Amino acid sequence: MARITAGVATSHVPLLGVGIDQGKMEEDYFKPIYAGYEWSKRWIADPENKPDVVILVYNDHATAFDMNLIPTFAIGCAEEFQPADEGWGRRPVPVVKNDADFAWHLAQSLILDEFDMTIINKMDVDHGLTVPLSLMFGQPAEWPVKVVPLAVNVVTYPPPSGNRCYALGEAIRNAVESYDKDLKVQVWGTGGMSHQLQGPRAGLINKEWDQRFLDDLTADPLRLRHIPHIEYLRETGSEGIETVMWLIMRGALGGDVKELHRHYHVPGSNTAVGHIVLEAAP
Amino acid sequence: MSKHTDIHEYLAELEDIPGTRIYTTKRARQGYWLNQMGMSLMKPENRERWKADERKYLEDWPMTDAQKEALLARDYNRLLDLGGNVYYLAKVFSADGLSFVQAVASMTGMSVDDYKAMMMAGGRSPQGNRSIKGGY
Ligand SMILES: [Fe+2]
Repeated sequence: MARITAGVATSHVPLLGVGIDQGKMEEDYFKPIYAGYEWSKRWIADPENKPDVVILVYNDHATAFDMNLIPTFAIGCAEEFQPADEGWGRRPVPVVKNDADFAWHLAQSLILDEFDMTIINKMDVDHGLTVPLSLMFGQPAEWPVKVVPLAVNVVTYPPPSGNRCYALGEAIRNAVESYDKDLKVQVWGTGGMSHQLQGPRAGLINKEWDQRFLDDLTADPLRLRHIPHIEYLRETGSEGIETVMWLIMRGALGGDVKELHRHYHVPGSNTAVGHIVLEAAP
Repeated sequence: MSKHTDIHEYLAELEDIPGTRIYTTKRARQGYWLNQMGMSLMKPENRERWKADERKYLEDWPMTDAQKEALLARDYNRLLDLGGNVYYLAKVFSADGLSFVQAVASMTGMSVDDYKAMMMAGGRSPQGNRSIKGGY
């Protein structure tokens, strides 16, 4: 039986990919950002912890999806996905390989559990998906895990509610546990934390709010589940809404989870960089 | 579903955030061609045509004159008002060779250096920036 062993959440700021791709990791600006991932890289490299598959929750930033098609929840079911050219050329990172049998299993199980997933095959994946892989695995010739992309609309309003995201996570847990192959699975939530990329209010950062969110992933997930969109927007900036995707990860981990590692740094470009590693409930 | 959301109340709250244009369906509809034009710049051949003659490039897109003028002027706050979304507008400013920090700083009325200094010092405080009506 497949099982969820841990959850990882991290910001997916494009600049953090640039820093790795261009070998700037030792520069003053970048050093404290990447330092917070050292523990996580060692942890995930340990065979005890390394998953076979990561269900990677992220959002597309007008890359694979434009205004023509706006799926609320989309699951990638193809064999592999190319890193996208977002206008600066493709990131020099490996192709993202899926476990397509598992992805199709998840899709059908989630739909039967009343989550009306969009199934997508041909899709390039943007920084939202590839930057977290780089942060956790560095620069390998091939990604050491299979990746199921799960894209969430957080660009065109309304995005899904926190409660809906959390419930999707719970359904993912059931879907994973009904897969008959023996797989170790992690669920990653990406994006966030505080940031606003538009208008006169751009640059907004709310450390206190972000820290409380990190605290309550273990202490009070029920509170997080019911935070309305307007609170993310007022408190953490218009693009801070991305943090709602972390609740899919949290919902998938079950009841009592343990915090293993946390990192928080301002700034990464326009953004508060947040990162946490959680051990799933048994 | 346990409760129904009051859509009018929901939308009214989204308009109550200072210096912010939430990308609602109304804006998405208003800015459809503006944003799709931005998307077209993902292709190198389109970027070349755009750079060669911006005004001519815009002739192919059924946008309002106001949207076209704001695009040519790179008036990003105006573009947000006219239905632009930052991830689509990013294709325009990246074609200009601007980073997110540079383009975003231009929307705040701050110089790029002042904006960067603000970010290094911990970013803009939410204090007084949460609600127009509430003033908190
Ligand atoms: Fe993002």
